[in-house]
Amino acid sequence: MAAIKAEAVPYRDAFRANPAEPAWLVDARAKSLAAFGERGFPSRRDEAWRFTSTRPLAENFFVPVRRDLAVTANEDTDFGKLGFEGPAYRLVFANGIVRALPSKLPPGLWLGSMSQAISERPEAAEFAISEIDLGGTQPFASLNAALFADGFVFDLDEGVALDRPIEIVHLGKSALPTSIYLRNSVRIGAGSEATVIETYVGQGAYWDNVVTNIAVAEGASLTHIKLQDESREAVHFASARISLGWSARYRNFGLTLGANLSRNDIQVLLGKGAHANIAGAYLQRGDQDTTNAVVIDHAEPDATTQELFKGVLDERSHGAFLGTIRVREGAQKTDAKQTSRALLLSDRASVNIKPELAIFADDVKCTHGAAVGDLDKDALFYLRARGIGVDEARRMLIEAFLLETIDTIESPEVREHLARQVRRWLAAEKA
Amino acid sequence: MSDVAQALVKEGYKYGFITEIDEDRAPAGLNENVIRFISTKKGEPQWLLEWRLGAFRRWQRMQEPKWANVHFAPIDYQAASYYSAPKQKATPKSIDEVDPELLKTYAKLGIPLHERAALAGVAVDAVFDSVSVATTFKDKLGELGIIFCSFGEAVREYGDLVRQYLGSVVPQGDNFYAALNSAVFSDGSFVYVPPGVRCPMELSTYFRINAAKTGQFERTLVIADRGAYVSYLEGCTAPQRDENQLHAAVVELVALEDAQIKYSTVQNWYPGDAEGKGGIYNFVTKRGACRGARSKISWTQVETGSAITWKYPGCILEGDDTVGEFYSVAVTNNHQQADTGTKMIHLGRNTRSTVISKGISAGKGQNTYRGLVRVQPNAANARNYTQCDSLLIGQKCGAHTVPYIEVRNPMARVEHEATTSKISEEQMFYCRSRGLSQEDALSLIVNGFCKEVLKELPMEFAVEAQKLLSVSLEGSVG
Repeated sequence: MAAIKAEAVPYRDAFRANPAEPAWLVDARAKSLAAFGERGFPSRRDEAWRFTSTRPLAENFFVPVRRDLAVTANEDTDFGKLGFEGPAYRLVFANGIVRALPSKLPPGLWLGSMSQAISERPEAAEFAISEIDLGGTQPFASLNAALFADGFVFDLDEGVALDRPIEIVHLGKSALPTSIYLRNSVRIGAGSEATVIETYVGQGAYWDNVVTNIAVAEGASLTHIKLQDESREAVHFASARISLGWSARYRNFGLTLGANLSRNDIQVLLGKGAHANIAGAYLQRGDQDTTNAVVIDHAEPDATTQELFKGVLDERSHGAFLGTIRVREGAQKTDAKQTSRALLLSDRASVNIKPELAIFADDVKCTHGAAVGDLDKDALFYLRARGIGVDEARRMLIEAFLLETIDTIESPEVREHLARQVRRWLAAEKA
Repeated sequence: MSDVAQALVKEGYKYGFITEIDEDRAPAGLNENVIRFISTKKGEPQWLLEWRLGAFRRWQRMQEPKWANVHFAPIDYQAASYYSAPKQKATPKSIDEVDPELLKTYAKLGIPLHERAALAGVAVDAVFDSVSVATTFKDKLGELGIIFCSFGEAVREYGDLVRQYLGSVVPQGDNFYAALNSAVFSDGSFVYVPPGVRCPMELSTYFRINAAKTGQFERTLVIADRGAYVSYLEGCTAPQRDENQLHAAVVELVALEDAQIKYSTVQNWYPGDAEGKGGIYNFVTKRGACRGARSKISWTQVETGSAITWKYPGCILEGDDTVGEFYSVAVTNNHQQADTGTKMIHLGRNTRSTVISKGISAGKGQNTYRGLVRVQPNAANARNYTQCDSLLIGQKCGAHTVPYIEVRNPMARVEHEATTSKISEEQMFYCRSRGLSQEDALSLIVNGFCKEVLKELPMEFAVEAQKLLSVSLEGSVG
């Protein structure tokens, strides 16, 4: 047996094989656990984790939540202000276990929990744990494969345009450090259209470890929104792997407000003529720390990508953006654009940006731009000259700075929903 | 590929000749005795020998860096000889005593060593394999108090200055190759410009690797005292050999209050043949410190040679209101690999830096820009602008951009832009329809792409650099 890293030992010991699970899953869990044990936590010496400290995780053992653990979160009151107000097919998870399912679903849509899918829809469950370790850079995805208790499964048949978004709400609540593992699967059939809104909220010290596998078939379109407003003591790591078929369209927007330490890993593999639009805004204060790491992989010709990330960092917070655009040999006519900007509002805030291009084809257009700075003094002066107080003027400018990322979303209701969260954060400034 | 292009590819590297000359060399291998041998050969003081040994002991505990985007077979550091010098009867008192074979070599390279070539107006220190063979215009510079001599001579004549600044910008154990250089460096150039003096001519070093199975490890130290100005040029070539040769140099620049240093490099080491056989491994550490307020350091480099380039000339902007600049053109054709860029470390207030990098990949070349812009908490009002553009010629090459931006001060403004493009058919067609040949059209477009960098070079160098760019890219279209 290979050596196991010290920090992995309690997690290995917490693992209980479930004989009721199918053999392939038992096997996959064992292999993933061994892989994690060998690899341990990533450190700053790992290029992909250079700017993300895993110290909060190393200091405590976060006891993995099991299906049989009692959950006390009250799903109605705890996320009231964060829920999407329009009609939606809603799925609620409390500490990583499904609590509420939508009652009525339209034809062509399968929406349920992972625990249910393992027996009823094994191919969706298998898809969710396929290609688990993303090139050795994501040991936490291996840990997730070993320990996940539940998650959501969303399958949409060919040629269906959903009339309302799918809303997935995650509530975390814990007095002691616990770790929550969600494994999700999304498969959108050819020519279909859908929107998924994920919301994370909670209280206490817990660690959400989320892995989502997404496949968007040819000509289909998926809008994927994520609002992360976890407890300020929480750790939130989410890793999504998306593959886009011929001419498929994928739009991802993430709003990061909460958690003490958070990280979004997004990996997109584009097929011929596919389009990806990846955007995000991160607003941090106190000693919050967040990383967005996006890898765009242009494997085939004619695909396009747009990326836009903006950060506002106050007090002692830290933000990082790592964006890689890879264009493989033969992926001609690729057009990829990446922009990353950050505002530092305090002397002690800091930011790291690493935009990276790796290009192996000649007939491509790839650009990246990055900028870090303070608010535009001329704009501030302009507003103040019109009698607007300095705090209000600053808020207006920050809001305008951030809303550009939200403007990439098509639905006005979703845009308004997110803009409201941004305003709420800004109103709490200096509170 | 067209016939014309094929023919041009074969033209190849015109500096690939070998000079037959007697040499003094150390036995192959690297250990403390070899370092003592080098130190004794050069008649060095005890402190320098100890400094070398300290570096060697650190080097033994270090690992070769693996993070760069370059691939090569492991280097056997024990197989090379670490000292090779052309045999001379005694140190030449004037240029007329230098071995005529050597002078012929430099004549072939177009280096105006002879003072009679004074019209060229460039003071040259020529380094052949491991030692400096001639320094021109010494007297004239001496009148102004400017010291420009070989490193070995500086150690003998100006030991205190060397001791004060050696390793103050690139410490002994800075990185694997810098530590190796600190242990075995054989010669190089030393420049000191006294306060308030503006050096009236370009100072230049010409490096030439000649001997087989040796590496070249030179060390350059340039100090511009308060209010001084100096422009320094560096050029390099090597014979065409099937084996890979290692070149691990260290360059340290120190600019005190109000001083300015302009450092330009045209690097044309042998790049290997079209199949990627042979060529120089160019693993160089270059760094400048803007110690005093309002000082400025500017790096300009045109990198067309070497099988592998690993080099990140940087500026440490310590003083308030200091300025760092980096202008680079890097070309990789055939199997060449380059991982190059800069580091701008902003420590002082109102520090400014500009980075312009142009990478050109052709054939199976792999070209990486890797850069760091770091703004530390005290660097209020720091400003950086970075632009890195890549040009791809052909479908088998690669262009990569890996910038790091680290900001810890809210008043900083850091901007970074990168683009990747190819030579468009429209551009080609436009030039061709005006009667330009394919090769001339390519050369014109590439020179236009690099214009922002080439204009930073002193004139004599700019002309050479433009020619080099054309030669390096011959045969890459068609």
